[in-house]
Amino acid sequence: MIEAHDLSRRYGDFTAVDGVSFTAADHEILGMLGPNGAGKTTTIRMITGFLPPTAGRVTVAGRDLFESPTEVRRHLGYLPENVALYPEMRVEEYLLYRARLEGLTGGEVRAAVGEAVERCMLEEVRHQIIGTISKGFRQRVGLATAILHRPEVLVLDEPTVGLDPKQIISIRELIRELGRERTLLLSTHILPEVELLCDRVIIIDRGRIAAEGTPESLRQSWVGNPGLRVTLKDAPEAAPATLEQIAGVIAVRAGAGGPGSFVLECDRTADPREEVFRAAVERGWVLLELARERASLEEVFVRLTTHEQPLEVGGAAGAGGAAGAAGASGGAGAGSMSAEDGADAGGASRASAAGEAAPPPPPAAAGHGEDEVPS
Amino acid sequence: MRALQATFLRELRAYFVSPLAYLVMCFFLVYNGAIFAAVISVLNDPRSGGTERPMDQLFQGFFFWIILCFITTVLTMRLISEELRSGSIEVLMTAPITEVQVIVGKYLAALTFYCALWVPTVAYAGIVARYSHVDWGPIAGGYFGIFCLGALFLSVGVLFSALTKSQLLAAIMTFVVLVAVLFLIGLLDNLFNGEVAKQALGYVNLFGHMEEFHKGIVDSRHLIYYGSAIFFFLFLASRALEDRKWR
Repeated sequence: MIEAHDLSRRYGDFTAVDGVSFTAADHEILGMLGPNGAGKTTTIRMITGFLPPTAGRVTVAGRDLFESPTEVRRHLGYLPENVALYPEMRVEEYLLYRARLEGLTGGEVRAAVGEAVERCMLEEVRHQIIGTISKGFRQRVGLATAILHRPEVLVLDEPTVGLDPKQIISIRELIRELGRERTLLLSTHILPEVELLCDRVIIIDRGRIAAEGTPESLRQSWVGNPGLRVTLKDAPEAAPATLEQIAGVIAVRAGAGGPGSFVLECDRTADPREEVFRAAVERGWVLLELARERASLEEVFVRLTTHEQPLEVGGAAGAGGAAGAAGASGGAGAGSMSAEDGADAGGASRASAAGEAAPPPPPAAAGHGEDEVPS
Repeated sequence: MRALQATFLRELRAYFVSPLAYLVMCFFLVYNGAIFAAVISVLNDPRSGGTERPMDQLFQGFFFWIILCFITTVLTMRLISEELRSGSIEVLMTAPITEVQVIVGKYLAALTFYCALWVPTVAYAGIVARYSHVDWGPIAGGYFGIFCLGALFLSVGVLFSALTKSQLLAAIMTFVVLVAVLFLIGLLDNLFNGEVAKQALGYVNLFGHMEEFHKGIVDSRHLIYYGSAIFFFLFLASRALEDRKWR
């Protein structure tokens, strides 16, 4: 169990984290999402006790971090973003040292190291010098260090960075397994990872929580109305008007697939696929594609974390911020009004950001493997 | 306590697997061996007049003090700077260990290695004893003095290592401060003649302490002096390590 109350951290005049509160329950994997520089790592460092907060309180496994820091650390495993190890030590030697540092004694030390080596698949590098093993293995040594003392709470900061696809899969399996036994806080900017692993997500942006909820509820409350992708062969002129007549369809937009392609914006509760099919059959249109567009978490993320340039701070960014606040307080139940506001602000800023140096990827790219979201 | 012990053993092992430590050890022994050979050859010259305590010559003079400053600098520069630079301080300080334990553990490892460096030089005394008479009391006093001086210098080195990410900077600061303070106090002690100034400077003059140790005199005032200075520097080092949190 991790409880963060109103955590803030300032570096001089710069506020890196500003009033972040959240709770990670037992046996829960809580994902922490956010663009680079949003304050994820700072938040994590405050929870692990590496950085003291400027304001706020942290409770880990029922103990206050400020009052009993050493006791908290005993129950906490931490994999930092940059896994720094002692390059001159051998893997096993390092793990033995860490086990003793964690306060294990006698037979416990060997047993703990044996278990960690097995779980993190380090058998083949067990006797190698850390300086000579690959980044993937080093990452796993870091993870082994974090779970050595069987902590109740695990904090992993970007655990799959720098691993190859096969290793990523095995590490994710391990994370899922670990999350069943304890509280796990996982920071990442790889969105599919969040969808795959996390029970709940908090999205951090500019030091504040922009949204919180299950991946499903975030998708529902932030992406607006579901879409239906329809592609017709040799689409007649009347097609858009006809499609718009169908019950449950709110609007028809041109799709990305050329002249015959449309996206139908549908009512949240309606599923007009059957009607679309019938309409096409009745009129003799050849239906090439009919599919529901599943809004991705990536889209939510982009909408929540893309901002106007400072020049227009009062405008769309303000709307985005307001929508963010609504999301934080209302969670999944955020009204559709504010959700749409958020969506509009996101859309507008996306358009403007496209002209800037680093445009975010279009939502269409969502879900294709390991796309990372640029800040 | 267990965490302190784990840190101590890790650091000590780190010395013995690092090529730099062996290089330092070799250099140190060659250096001291050369001084020893020079001392012996001078004493063998009938014109030198000889001495009652040949081993003393080894533990005083410019060359002795310089190597002392140099060795302690090299042994401590890595200790904390390296952790700060590589970022391993993050996993260290999120383990159940306090700043004080980290500092003390590392300091004790450095002190142990420092003592190990001096052990082979006991052979010189053995060689002298083989061919001539040796008074072991003053020699023991001399080694005790070396231990105290080293302990003090190492604590200064640990402090500077905790202050910067750069090993090189830590080394330069340690060496410069040690040499400057050491020789400045020695110089002032020789310059001033006033009763009070003489007494005050005499109390902190490490050259003077060493001379007394050589005579086999172990003054409790000196022990308190070393003990409190070491405590002070290690305390500052642990504060420096804590301070990184607030930057």
